Amino acid sequence: MVRAFQEGVIVALVGAILAFAANAFSPRGLKLSRDYFPKISQPAHAVTTGTGPSSSATNASTVDEQVLSRLKEQGLQAVDTPAAVALFNDPRRLQETIVFIDARDAEHYQKGHIPGAYQLDYYHPEAQLPQVLSACQNAEQIIVYCNGGTCEDSQFTAVMLRDAGIPPSKIHVYLGGITEWVKQGHPVELQDRNSGALQPSKTSP
Amino acid sequence: MSTRPLMDRVFSLARVALGALFIYMGLNKALHPVEFLKLVRQYEMVSDPFILNSIAGALPWFEVFCGVLLMAGIAVRGTALVLIGMLVPFTLLILKRALAVSAGQQIALCAIRFDCGCGTGEVLICGKLLQNCGLILLSGFLAKGLGRSFALRYTLFSPKDPGDSKPLMQSAAAS
Repeated sequence: MVRAFQEGVIVALVGAILAFAANAFSPRGLKLSRDYFPKISQPAHAVTTGTGPSSSATNASTVDEQVLSRLKEQGLQAVDTPAAVALFNDPRRLQETIVFIDARDAEHYQKGHIPGAYQLDYYHPEAQLPQVLSACQNAEQIIVYCNGGTCEDSQFTAVMLRDAGIPPSKIHVYLGGITEWVKQGHPVELQDRNSGALQPSKTSP
Repeated sequence: MSTRPLMDRVFSLARVALGALFIYMGLNKALHPVEFLKLVRQYEMVSDPFILNSIAGALPWFEVFCGVLLMAGIAVRGTALVLIGMLVPFTLLILKRALAVSAGQQIALCAIRFDCGCGTGEVLICGKLLQNCGLILLSGFLAKGLGRSFALRYTLFSPKDPGDSKPLMQSAAAS
């Protein structure tokens, strides 16, 4: 049995070396030194809200209030779906002084995003960050969203943008996210940004 | 044919199946490390980003490595011990989280479903706990020396200790 334990140690050591190497070389690998979860919120399972909070937050659940409170502590704001729709329909969006940012990965973004939204994959932002930062610097209002519900990536992305030098007063987190957007029948754009492949609003005539 | 070689062949097939299962579960996580990272975080067992990222980034590949060794029949006893070393604490963590959910939401333990981060998506936790117990038991049998048939290199060491190196079928045939 001693030999089996010795063998186990060898397997564990070789396996660990190969596993760390595989993570380092994988294009989807994680950066070991990066803190992916800034101290803005609790782990996702504790945030059980399924819809965006109301702007007044008076009817929001305790969890919603906690999220709003934490955003406020970070100097960030939250918007609900009516506010996000109003910003989407604002003519300033076409001049890019209002910018939407989708914090999900490419796979989800391509399946449907708010029309004209930039993609910024929070976990692999390297390729998109320069373009998005440039757009944010020129914008007056920035709306960041992800899936909604328990998804916290929009909050993390907002913190990342703030830490990159974007004034927090510009940054709004749309907590309802794409789920709430689609649920309420608003249009989504498929594939790339400004691809023109739109799924029309279900409520539009 | 005596029962020992037959039993060894059965356990060898089980060893291959166990290896395939670990490769499948490991690749599911390795190809979606961000999802796995979020699931590991939910256990709230570590707060240090480096350790959390190491678990989420490297563990899936480590599972794939162990799976390949088991399927090929290389260093089987050592690999089986390593699997026990992973499965026992993971199973206890799943149980701990399920008990917390059960107490917090007043739900029967066997009605709880969540994605435990095992690479198989959302599952009924009772079933997952039973499955893990089965895997631990099977790993225990492999660590004891069963499953030597169809093995490329059952042990890494030279055959000083006959018990470590001689295939069980040969031992049975000689006796």
